Amino acid sequence: MEDGLRLGDRVFRSRLLLGTGKFSSAEIMLAAVRASGAELVTVALRRFNRERPDDDIRGPLASLDGIVLVPNTSGAMNAREAVRAALLGREITGSPFVKLEIHPNPHHLMPDPIETYQAALTLVREGFFVLPYMPADPVLARRLEDAGCAAVMPLGSAIGSGQGLATFSMLRMIIRDAGVPVIVDAGLRSPSEAAAVMEMGGEAVLVNSAIAAAENPALMAEAFATAVKAGRQARRAGLMPRSETAAATSPLTAFLAGEGA
Amino acid sequence: MSTALPFWLDVSRWLPLARGADRRMVRRALAAAEPGIREFAILLSPAAGAELEVLAAHAQALTRRHFGRTISLYAPLYLSNYCPAECTYCGFASDRHVRRHKLTRAELDSESTALKRLGLEEVLLLTGDRLATAGYEFVRDGIAHSASRFHNVAAEVFAMTEAEYAGLAAAGCTSVTLYQETYDPTRYALLHLSGPKADYGWRLDAPARALAGGVRSVGLGVLLGLSEPVEDVLRLFRHAVWLRRQFWGGGVAISFPRLRPQAGDYAAEFPVSERTLAQIVFAFRIAMPEAPLVLSTRESARFRDGIAGVGISKMSVASRTTVGGYAESTALSSPQFEIDDRRGVEEFCAMLRAKGLQPVFKNWDAVYREPQCQTSSAST
Repeated sequence: MEDGLRLGDRVFRSRLLLGTGKFSSAEIMLAAVRASGAELVTVALRRFNRERPDDDIRGPLASLDGIVLVPNTSGAMNAREAVRAALLGREITGSPFVKLEIHPNPHHLMPDPIETYQAALTLVREGFFVLPYMPADPVLARRLEDAGCAAVMPLGSAIGSGQGLATFSMLRMIIRDAGVPVIVDAGLRSPSEAAAVMEMGGEAVLVNSAIAAAENPALMAEAFATAVKAGRQARRAGLMPRSETAAATSPLTAFLAGEGA
Repeated sequence: MSTALPFWLDVSRWLPLARGADRRMVRRALAAAEPGIREFAILLSPAAGAELEVLAAHAQALTRRHFGRTISLYAPLYLSNYCPAECTYCGFASDRHVRRHKLTRAELDSESTALKRLGLEEVLLLTGDRLATAGYEFVRDGIAHSASRFHNVAAEVFAMTEAEYAGLAAAGCTSVTLYQETYDPTRYALLHLSGPKADYGWRLDAPARALAGGVRSVGLGVLLGLSEPVEDVLRLFRHAVWLRRQFWGGGVAISFPRLRPQAGDYAAEFPVSERTLAQIVFAFRIAMPEAPLVLSTRESARFRDGIAGVGISKMSVASRTTVGGYAESTALSSPQFEIDDRRGVEEFCAMLRAKGLQPVFKNWDAVYREPQCQTSSAST
């Protein structure tokens, strides 16, 4: 497959991952997933409801072809809880992927690096393709990679904040040194930010709030998909180097040519 | 009552803003990047009240950003209405001649079954004040039993010790709701005549003890109507901020119970209008954008429909304020207070969907409980 996103033992055409929370209805969520062309879709285990089908986040997604579910462990406060949630998520969905999310503070929802690292070690041992949501810390990114994670998912800014790429310079360091795909997750507000991630060499982005909170979620999903594609193409095409000064038409060092040999 | 009041109860610096801010200050508060107590006070002012529509638009945008277009649902379940306390405004006060009952295990089971049939996965267990016959063990066992049936179990019961809260958490309690009712110590003493609840300081510290004991989140509130509302909600705001600083992993939710001006035989001395209630909700949403804001069925269907998703992110539904009443058509006790919105689950959800809001029944999973909790619930 040409220019695919390689995660675990799979290759995906789409480099846009979608989160499924916060939508006003299952129909609108489905329309957004379809319009995005996403193949990887994250679902919160805490929103699985086997007893009330109209409240079950998985039910509607079953009607879509070509979708791989990625259960997430949001709600877990520590590594033990996240591991239990991941095991249950795999049991229910059969998916080999898990988005590891541990955010003990319910207000800013920033990921706990220590618990995330510990849970990653266990889940890799359990045979998962672990996709850890993490602070944009280049050292932690390498530690999680060394632990065997299939990708790293540093945040652009706080979940749902719409603050965009507040961690831009850290993301650049993570991407420069990464040996696994870097998927920028959380905080993105506009498609141009997704394109910027792809241009700087990010392998994919995950978007939820920016699409769910848009006035027209399906149209916004399509806009993100287009931006991700454009950013990726730009990366592959090779961006012209940025220059602080203009190239002078009369070279400033021309006078040196007159020096005798 | 403890001797010294905590520093954060002092809101004298911000009261003048809440009473006298002007329109320009309101605009600046709405544009603040990091709103805090100062902005909150300004948003409570009459000048902000004159721009309720602008506040509502901000509140709706922030609710959408943090909670999406969803409303989380829960239902209260009264375990007992025996009560040793004499709280002048309460329908279950010890001096009231009302029908009283304490659920047996079999009754709790059938009440739970009835709530499960409605699809609810979050239940809020309630009792009166502490009694030997309806004390810590009674509540803990009720939580353990409910945790075997529901994914999410919260408790709105009497103030406990930290060790007791740790016991509730181990039994599967994820959240403790405990309203101070009023933060004004003088009004508090006038309203709470006897019983354990008469100890203002013990109650004030209880949410901190709950978080210290390992309960994941606490719900705070004042019973609007009991005392001067602006001063009370300023103190409520500071209480929430203080708890968040002390317990970085703890959640703080805010509820907005209101004594309805005409309901019951206790007339609110400081009646709060729907406009004022809405303004308080909007101010909380704007100054504390990620806190769950909760509204019960005390309020009318009209008010609830209007404010759902416009600040409020979580609502009770199909509530009974009696002991028993879900399983049987006849309740086993009198009600604590009259509810206004009597719609059933399906009717309420149809309203939410028509407004473009998705009702969320399950937003938590029992898998997050420590395994020993699940065995302890099985053994009780």
